[in-house]
Amino acid sequence: MLKCRDIGQLLYDYVEGVLDPPIRQQLEQHLADCPGCIAFVNTYRQTITLSKELREEEIPQELQQKLQSFIKEKLHEPGFWSRLRTRLTG
Amino acid sequence: MSPLDDQELISRLKKKDEAALEALIAQYETKVFGLAVRFTGNHQDAEEILQDVFWTIFEKIDTFRGESKFSSWIYRIATNVALMKLRKRPKIREIPLEEELGPAMTEDGMIAEPVVDWSRLADEELDRKELDHRIEGAIGLLPLDYRSVFVLRDVEGLSAEETSRILRISIAALKSRLHRARLFLRKQLADYTQVPQSSLEADQVGMKKDEPHA
Ligand SMILES: [Zn+2]
Repeated sequence: MLKCRDIGQLLYDYVEGVLDPPIRQQLEQHLADCPGCIAFVNTYRQTITLSKELREEEIPQELQQKLQSFIKEKLHEPGFWSRLRTRLTG
Repeated sequence: MSPLDDQELISRLKKKDEAALEALIAQYETKVFGLAVRFTGNHQDAEEILQDVFWTIFEKIDTFRGESKFSSWIYRIATNVALMKLRKRPKIREIPLEEELGPAMTEDGMIAEPVVDWSRLADEELDRKELDHRIEGAIGLLPLDYRSVFVLRDVEGLSAEETSRILRISIAALKSRLHRARLFLRKQLADYTQVPQSSLEADQVGMKKDEPHA
């Protein structure tokens, strides 16, 4: 019989879906009658889900424009192209 | 300009084609911005990171040998630029050990305290914006080694292999850091969901989004 402590140690592989089937079965058996571990596993998973959903943040237009003007300025900095030519031609 | 495929983009960047630089920015700015915000927690740092990253790519494109995906290379540059910036901030103390981040255990290895399952609550009752804000705050509390793994893998959704290559760490190191980072965040969220609403509001007063995380 797996103990709660074992569940904690197997949790990462379980959630990643890489646990060997026999061990996964044992783990799920433990979960079936351990509300504490179910809550632990569910909230661990939910933490990952919520973090994934953070991903989409649109870049503000203002930052987009600042980036473009920064790049333009850099490109037209005196010496940039000549430095580059020296490097390219060796 | 319509999107260019990576090969086309790379070869034109190597010829220092300005239009290709514009195309590169259009194609990758959202990704780089997202990464920068997750790492630093504010737009001002993200702005500087964006500029550094795209200029570095343009200058260093010759060093890209095609051994990894182009996007991995970009992620690697972005991560390094972000970390360099963050290393100038006061150092974050370590996060607790794995055993201290999960539920308390009895001596014979069974859970010793009630564990609240707030995972459903998160869908239904909790203020989603505030929850996101909490996650962002908690990410800012992670030491950098943990934060980089967590941001690339769990927020950006890269595979374990790609993340380990970008950060140049072993899969074993990735696994242990990611697991601890997740446990730490889970605990932060668990604490949040169990705080009575009134003290929650009092707490918000002192928390501004753009404040650097000490
Ligand atoms: Zn249990």
